[in-house]
Amino acid sequence: MNHLWDIVQLVTTTPLVFVAIGGLIWGILGGALPGISASITMALVLPFTYTMNPAMAIALLACVYIGAEYGGSIPAILIRTPGTNSAAATVIDGYELNRQGRAGEALGISLMSGVVGSLFGLAMLVLLTEPLSWVALLFKPTSYFALGILGLSVIASMTGGSLVKGLAAAVIGLMIATVGTDPISGVTRFTFGVPDLLSGVEPVLVMVGLFALTELMSQSGTSNIPRLKDSIRIKLPSLAVMNRLKRSQFIGCLFGLFEGLTPGGGGSIAAFMSYNEARRWSKTPEKFGKGSEEGVAAPETANNTVASTTLIPLLSFGIPSSNSTAVLLGGLLMHGLLPGPRLFEQNPQVIDSLYVGSLIAIIAQIGVGIVILPACIWLVNRPRPYLAGFIFALILSGIYTLNNSTFDLGLALVLGLVGYFMRLAQFPFLPMILGVVLGHMVESSYRRSLVLSGGDHAIFLEDPIAVGLLLAAAGFAIYSLTREYLDARALRLQGARS
Amino acid sequence: MNKDVLSGLVLLVIAGLYYAATGQIADSTLSDEVGADGLPRVLSILLASLGLLLLVRSLLAARAAPRLAAVAADGKEADARLPRALGFLLFGAAYVLVLPFLGYLASTALLIGAIALFERTERPSMVPVIAIGGAVLYWAIFVKLLGVNQPVGSLWRGILS
Repeated sequence: MNHLWDIVQLVTTTPLVFVAIGGLIWGILGGALPGISASITMALVLPFTYTMNPAMAIALLACVYIGAEYGGSIPAILIRTPGTNSAAATVIDGYELNRQGRAGEALGISLMSGVVGSLFGLAMLVLLTEPLSWVALLFKPTSYFALGILGLSVIASMTGGSLVKGLAAAVIGLMIATVGTDPISGVTRFTFGVPDLLSGVEPVLVMVGLFALTELMSQSGTSNIPRLKDSIRIKLPSLAVMNRLKRSQFIGCLFGLFEGLTPGGGGSIAAFMSYNEARRWSKTPEKFGKGSEEGVAAPETANNTVASTTLIPLLSFGIPSSNSTAVLLGGLLMHGLLPGPRLFEQNPQVIDSLYVGSLIAIIAQIGVGIVILPACIWLVNRPRPYLAGFIFALILSGIYTLNNSTFDLGLALVLGLVGYFMRLAQFPFLPMILGVVLGHMVESSYRRSLVLSGGDHAIFLEDPIAVGLLLAAAGFAIYSLTREYLDARALRLQGARS
Repeated sequence: MNKDVLSGLVLLVIAGLYYAATGQIADSTLSDEVGADGLPRVLSILLASLGLLLLVRSLLAARAAPRLAAVAADGKEADARLPRALGFLLFGAAYVLVLPFLGYLASTALLIGAIALFERTERPSMVPVIAIGGAVLYWAIFVKLLGVNQPVGSLWRGILS
C-alpha cells in the first residue's frame, strides 16, 4: 500500500508525466527520420539528461526508446524506408497496405500492436527483473570479472560479421576505458598531460561519436528521401480487427520476450522471426507480402516488446544487449547508478520512475501517435541538408553541455572519425562501446580478485559462478568461430560451383 | 590493398603505440599485484594478436576470389563518399575552434548554414534565415528554457565591455 502511495506521489509531485510524454514525442520524431535509429535518438538526448534528476533522466531515455520503436514504422509504411532497423520487417506488408490506399489502417495497426507489445514487455520487465537481479548478490569480484568478459564476448560474437573484428573492437573499448586515473593506485594513465583526460573518456562521448556523428558523416551527400503525403491520418483498428490480430500479436510478444532476453538479439531479429511465425500460423498465409494486417501486427508487437524486455538483462546484471540499452546503461552510469540488486534497494525511485514513466508513455502513445503524425510527416519532408545541419548542431550543443568543454567536442569528433573508418572496415560499434562502459568493472574486479588471492590466478577457478560464466564466454566464441568457418566454406563452395 | 589487411596493420600499429605509452605510467607505492600498467600491457598484446590474426586470415582468404570481388564492390561506394564525410567533420572542427570566440549563437548559425550549403541545399537564398532562426531556436531552448550554459563568445564579451 505504501508503495502504491509512493507511485501516486511520484506521478503527482514530479514532472514524470511531462518527461514521459516528452521522451515519447522525441522518440517518435527521431524514429520516424530514416537513418536515425532508436539508439541515435537516445544518444542525441543523453547529454541533456546530465543535469536532470537521475530518476527523470532514466525514465526519459526509456520513453524515448519506446517512442522510437513506434516512430520507425511510420516511414516504413509510408515510403518503404524503415525509420529504425527493427521496422524493416514492417515494410513488407505495411507498404503494400499503403499502396492499396490503406496507409491509415496500417499505421493504426502498427500503433495498437506496439501498445500491446509494449504493455506485455513492461509486465515482463516488472515481473522478472528484480528476482533476477538478486542472483547478482551471490557475485564476488571474480564473478563480476567473468560477467564482464562474458558480456564482451557475447556482444563481439553476436553482432554479426567477424569475431576477430568484434573482439578487437572490444579490446579498443577497454583501452579507451584505461585512460585517466587508475582506480586502484590513483596513478594517471595515457593522459599525456591533458587535464581534461584525468577523469577518463566519458562513455557518452563514445556513444554520441560512434552512433550519431558516424551516421551523419555516412549520410553526407545522400539524396533526399521520397516525400510523404500530408493528408494521411491514422485509423485505429476496431475491436473485431484487434481480435483477428491477437494470434500474430501473441507470437510477436513471445519472440519479443525471447529476443529481449538474448544478448545481441534485438528488435530486428524479433520482428523478422515473428513475421515468419505469424505467416506460418496464420489462417490466411497467402496474404503475407500482399498487404496482410497480421504481417504488420506481428513485427510491430515484437519490436515494441523488445524495447522493454531488453532492459531485463541490463537492469539485472548491467549487461546491455543492444545499442539502445548500451545508451541507457551510459545514462545510468553517468548518474552514478550501477545496475543490479542495489539499484532496486538504494534507488527505488529510479526503478519506479522507469516503470511508471514507461507505462505513461505506452498509454499516451495511442493519443500522441495520432496527434504527432502530421509533425512526423512535416519533419521527414524537411530538406536533408537542413536536417543534417540541425542534427549536427544539436549533437555538438549536447556534448558541450556535459562539462562545458570544447575538448569534449574535439574528442567526440575524433571518435566520429574513428567510427566512420570502423564502419568502412566493417568493425562493429557495440563491442567497443561495451568495452568503454564495462572497462572499469572488468579491471577493478580482476585486480581486486588478485589482491584477495595474493596474485594467484587460480582464484578464478575456485568460484563456480566465474567458471560458469567464463565457460559460457568461451562457448559463444567457439560458436561464432564455427559459424564463420561454415559461412566461409559455403561461400567457397558456391564460388567453385559458379 | 584489401581492407582487412589494412585493418590488421592498423590494429598492430595501435597495439604498438599503446604498449609504448604504457612505459610512461608511473610506479606507485599504492600499487597492487597487477599494477596500473598491468591490464594495458595485456590489452596491447591481445590487440596485437587479433591484428595479426586478421592480417594472416585475410591474406589467406585473398584466394577466395568471389568474396573479395563482393567486398571490393561494396567498398567502392563507401570510398567515394569518404571526402564528403571528412568535409562534414571539418565543419565540426571549425565549430570547435570558433565557439569560444564567436559564442554559441553565431557559431551555431554558421554551422547550420555551412552544412546546408555543403549538403547542396536547393534553396541557398534561404540559408541565412534558416541558419539564424535555427540558432536562435536552439539558444532559446537550451540556454533560456533548459538553463544549459553555452559560451557567450570572447568577441561579444569584448564589445559589450
